[in-house]
Amino acid sequence: MGNAMKKLLNRTIWPFALYSLIVLAVSVPVYFFIVEQIWEDELDEHHWITKNKVEQELNTEYENPAEIPVMLEQFNRLNLGSTIRAMGSGEHPGDSVYSHYRFDPYYNEVERFRVLSAQIKIHNEPYRLIIETNIEESEETVLAIATVAISFFLILLLGFFWLNRNLSRKIWKPFYSTLDKLKTFDLSGEKGIVTEQTDVLEFEELNKALHVLIEKNVSVFRQQKEFTENASHELQTPLAILKSKVDLLLQDETLTQEQSEKIEALNAPLSRVSRINKNLLILARIENQKFADHTEDLDIGALVNESLEFIADQVAGRHITISKEISTEVTVHANRSLLETVILNLLLNAIRHNVEKGVLHISLTDKKLVVSNSGTASLNTDSLFQRFASTSRVSPGSGLGLALVHEICRRYGWKVAYRFEKDMHIFAVQF
Amino acid sequence: MKLLIVEDEADLARDIVEYLSNEKYVCEIAGTFEQALDKIVTYSYDCVLLDLMLPGGNGMTLLEELKKQDRQDGVIIISARNSIDDKVTGLKIGADDYLSKPFHLSELAARVHSVIRRKQFHSNNVIHSGELKIDFLAKTVSVNDHPVPLTKKELDLLLFFIGNKNRVISRSALAEHLSGDIADMLDNHDFVYAHIKNLKKKLHDAGCDAYLKTVYGTGYKWEMP
Repeated sequence: MGNAMKKLLNRTIWPFALYSLIVLAVSVPVYFFIVEQIWEDELDEHHWITKNKVEQELNTEYENPAEIPVMLEQFNRLNLGSTIRAMGSGEHPGDSVYSHYRFDPYYNEVERFRVLSAQIKIHNEPYRLIIETNIEESEETVLAIATVAISFFLILLLGFFWLNRNLSRKIWKPFYSTLDKLKTFDLSGEKGIVTEQTDVLEFEELNKALHVLIEKNVSVFRQQKEFTENASHELQTPLAILKSKVDLLLQDETLTQEQSEKIEALNAPLSRVSRINKNLLILARIENQKFADHTEDLDIGALVNESLEFIADQVAGRHITISKEISTEVTVHANRSLLETVILNLLLNAIRHNVEKGVLHISLTDKKLVVSNSGTASLNTDSLFQRFASTSRVSPGSGLGLALVHEICRRYGWKVAYRFEKDMHIFAVQF
Repeated sequence: MKLLIVEDEADLARDIVEYLSNEKYVCEIAGTFEQALDKIVTYSYDCVLLDLMLPGGNGMTLLEELKKQDRQDGVIIISARNSIDDKVTGLKIGADDYLSKPFHLSELAARVHSVIRRKQFHSNNVIHSGELKIDFLAKTVSVNDHPVPLTKKELDLLLFFIGNKNRVISRSALAEHLSGDIADMLDNHDFVYAHIKNLKKKLHDAGCDAYLKTVYGTGYKWEMP
């Protein structure tokens, strides 16, 4: 991942480039053979015509056979690229066509020549006619073709890159637009995405599939949120009836001590269920964005002090020493009851998960609230802020307190963090 | 004193009536929006307990109706919605208090008592209960005209008991009352015992009769004829 990731188009360009390189490389010998073949065929054809012309001319122009040796000597001396000599005795009378290299005084270097060695008859005497024509050397041909091939390859490569950039801008535009929309998509916003119109079939299908997927998700999410909220509402009334029945039962004057203790014992779990239900409802309401109204500028320090008064009894009960360091006038714009929930939950946690005669330190500086308390072992940092993840057997809370803190902080863009250091649980909220 | 309980959950309404009814309170029940509207228009009440979600309409409309008629009936909203919006809106329209379900009947009784008291004593906010005299403006308590210095929580408890005369109140209900919204976050209700002990001692030292009884170690009762 990371650096190894390539754009799709960059991924395709290299196979394309390699393929064109192979094709062009293979084309070099193919071109070479074709060019050679054409050269040779043309020269051979020309040689044969020349041979026929020479044979015919010599027979018609020189009627006297005695003139022939003189003429041939002159002809050969002119060195026109052709020689005619008398056929040697025992010489094979056949014709042959071939190429060969030899030094040429005129070119002053070794050159390649195409040769026709044919038998001609002048006045019925056999002669050997040898016609030579300079032909391009193979390596020069190869070099020329290779140069052309490489040039074309470079042109192709440049073209690929240029097309690639343009294509990625134009053709992939709807894709990247959809991708951007997906990146910023927020399920809790409960709005689908609006994708760009495209005439590319694949992108259109992708967009359609995404629309269906997102709509389904949004609807499921909405149902789930509404379900939680509705379920919590529905539970409130039976809980209220339960609670009132317990209160009424206690009024019975014929109750025995044992019965009345059992009835009172009902209150604790009842209270806990109420708490869980209430927290679920608050969570659902935050998710349903029903706390948008009623925000105000709140003095965090003042709220911390108020909350400490609220829980003074709890602190005294556990013999916890409180120290605080609160800088004045740190304000934040939020819903009062939500901010109170954050502070109270953190403080109550710090008491609940404290040790007997432990310490609780609160510091508020520069928009950062830090609540630290004595502890024995680190909490599970992975699941700490998840719903029902932090419930401990020792001191059962609602299991939702920290989830609530987390959700509220997320809602306002505050950062809440936990660490365990030197036998202290430390929760910090950066406002 | 006449109370109207507007609550569609018949079971809960009956429980409320059973708990609140005594020689002083007479309770009526309205189970639907229509019934409630009929009663409100026809009679006047010292206190109306108003559920918001009613068959046939929203309780908030009833509250608006009461205020439109410029009525002095005390109103306590008892709602399962527990929504801050409802609370703010309700109090703004003119409800005297807001109690979210589920609640302890003793809490409700204390609130009713408090609302009626506020409605009855506009300026002279003093109540007498036996040899006890409680001045709400000055927030002082005296026994036979001798001042008893009570803490805020002790005073709070005393008022709670007076609002729940001759009823057994569980320690949980007291804890919830003392710590308000956060009561159910607390695991330990022992602090109630400490406050009660102090209150008892202060009243006793001031020469007040021992009205406050402990019932089987789980609850308390303010016994006063």
